[in-house]
Amino acid sequence: MNPKKLTIEKIQEALRKQQYICDRSLATVVYLSITIGKPVLLEGEAGVGKTEIAKVLAQVMETKLIRLQCYEGLDANTALYEWNYPKQMLRIKLEEVSGRNREAVETEIFTEEYLVKRPLLEAIQSDGSTPPVLLIDEIDRADMEFEAFLLEVLSDFQITIPEIGTIRAKLRPYVFLTSNRTREIHDALKRRCLYHWIDYPVFEKEYEIVMTKFPQVQDHLAKQICAFMQRVRQMNFYKRPGVAETLDWASALVTLNRYELDEKTVEETMGCIFKYREDLHHLKEELAGKRLELDQMVKESSGLPA
Amino acid sequence: MQISDEAISKAVERYSAVRGQGTLANLLAFGRVLKEAGVRVSLSQVMDASRSLELVDIARRADFYTVLRSNLVSDKEEIPLFDRVFDCFWQEHGPEESPMESVEMTPSSSEEKRGDSVGAGGSLEEVIVQASSQEVKLSEESERIAVPTYSPHEALNKKDFSEMGIEESRAISRALLLIATKIATQVSRRKKRASKGEEIDPRWTMRKNIKYGGEIIQLVSRKRRIKKTRVVLLCDVSGSMDCYSRFLIQFMYGLQNELWGVETFVFSTSLSRITHLIRTKDIGSALERISHSVLGWSGGTNIGRSLYTFNREFAPSLVTHRTVVVIISDGWDRGDVGLLEREMRGLKRRCHKIIWLNPLLASENYEPLCKGMQAALPYLDLFLSVHNLNSLITLGRTLQKLVA
Repeated sequence: MNPKKLTIEKIQEALRKQQYICDRSLATVVYLSITIGKPVLLEGEAGVGKTEIAKVLAQVMETKLIRLQCYEGLDANTALYEWNYPKQMLRIKLEEVSGRNREAVETEIFTEEYLVKRPLLEAIQSDGSTPPVLLIDEIDRADMEFEAFLLEVLSDFQITIPEIGTIRAKLRPYVFLTSNRTREIHDALKRRCLYHWIDYPVFEKEYEIVMTKFPQVQDHLAKQICAFMQRVRQMNFYKRPGVAETLDWASALVTLNRYELDEKTVEETMGCIFKYREDLHHLKEELAGKRLELDQMVKESSGLPA
Repeated sequence: MQISDEAISKAVERYSAVRGQGTLANLLAFGRVLKEAGVRVSLSQVMDASRSLELVDIARRADFYTVLRSNLVSDKEEIPLFDRVFDCFWQEHGPEESPMESVEMTPSSSEEKRGDSVGAGGSLEEVIVQASSQEVKLSEESERIAVPTYSPHEALNKKDFSEMGIEESRAISRALLLIATKIATQVSRRKKRASKGEEIDPRWTMRKNIKYGGEIIQLVSRKRRIKKTRVVLLCDVSGSMDCYSRFLIQFMYGLQNELWGVETFVFSTSLSRITHLIRTKDIGSALERISHSVLGWSGGTNIGRSLYTFNREFAPSLVTHRTVVVIISDGWDRGDVGLLEREMRGLKRRCHKIIWLNPLLASENYEPLCKGMQAALPYLDLFLSVHNLNSLITLGRTLQKLVA
């Protein structure tokens, strides 16, 4: 897709074609980010499609996805670049035999050939017709120090390597940062980004997602699944299930050839939705106590508009 | 407590003069109103928003809204407040009616006062206590807590702390500093290079020895570095803790101002975040601010409900496996003990250590008999007394052992 001829509608449509259903506000944010070149900070509960949007956008824009998964202890060496020391040493050893000019060797071993490129450098150096999508995933897992360092890269899109010089991005990558809010991101970084909060989808949207991903699911079952998910998200579970869980569950039910939800089916497959012992226990209690009103839900969902 | 709709409309009126002088003037005014209401907005964000608006069809209110929100808001918690200001500010300009009535019904937990709010109108200044208004879901039925001001059951007094003498607190401050440092330093798994380290750092050894042609001549070693732990303080300021409240405020103030990464909350029947209120070097004004804005001081206690709010609203972003949660309370709880127990369990799972400081523990015949304390006990890593300076020194020593 040509980034110069984008519109909000086109983005929404293109994402939909790649089976990513998003509402207009997210499409607007993506459109803005591409047009004004500002990174997007996506926050939301686990499993609402934060990482997915970057992946799908890379497909839509027919460009490379460069992913930097953050973790505690991530530092510049792993995120940016590192000199390939073993290779440099080998070269030096070899040159010892041939007895060449020392200075010439020194300049040579500090060239790009001896550089191990990490995601950020790769994203900045990338050449092609379209800029790559740079996904910095779960930024909240990295430490504060890394955030400060990222700030520098994201504001100027340039990296300085003392031995080589400054490398500027020819094309500004489309940057997506995601966070699960396990800690607060620093204001300075937030200010440089467009912010978007991805909420759990409403019933209609979730139904559309299920039907897009699993066209073979029966209409009635899809409605039941979504109604059930909507209901449990309002309840007091330790870890509320996201869209990822909905899709896992739908896939499991399809594999098991189920056409309708009943208490037994839910109990058999609840491992797809809840991953904590307490939550499983809680769900069982709710089912046993008939507090989930499964029948009621089934009735309601069958009457709901698609 | 949150900024009232009247205050927002007053702020909007004050900027009405610049209206109609172009989009940028309008946006700048909007940014100012947002700032006064407590949304952190920077000028560069406003400029970006203005640039972004040229790219979309601003006749579509939904797009207009998305553009402004994504540019100007950078925290989920600020969205509800942004929505209210947006509705109020752009109501004459937009095609749709703004749903002000429904907004008024939204209850919210009291939170914090932004230090950087622009002090323009006096009335506004008084009511801006909380920037990010949040809905507090109380139970599965989504029962909502009424805004504390209207509840007849809570003894809501504003306490004047400005009478506190600074001289007498000097000794305490010194002890606090010592304790605070002990609490806050913890050995990290990440290594740093050091001249006398525990192990050899292969990468840096290689790097350093390139100049000798790759022969290993110099060894570089590394050791574990000290990592600052995050501390979250939850202070009980209910009636039963009244005689200790002066000390509590000292403790919170001292800890937070000497350390990086301390978050402070007070609770009685509901929870308030006061980190921003005491982020100042001047304790006098800090006390002034708190006494003005914390509701429920010296009221009843509902530890369970406060923890419930904390676990839902704040813990996900503030508490990690490195966080030490310090609860200061006597454990007299009027709420649901089951809830308290559940929430303690949830908190325990998230954090590094829970320390409970109980001033009553000092008296010799005290036993943790009250139900709230009983329920919390199994989840505590440390149960300590805090009633005078000596107990603080003991606490300091204990913590030293804990983190060594």
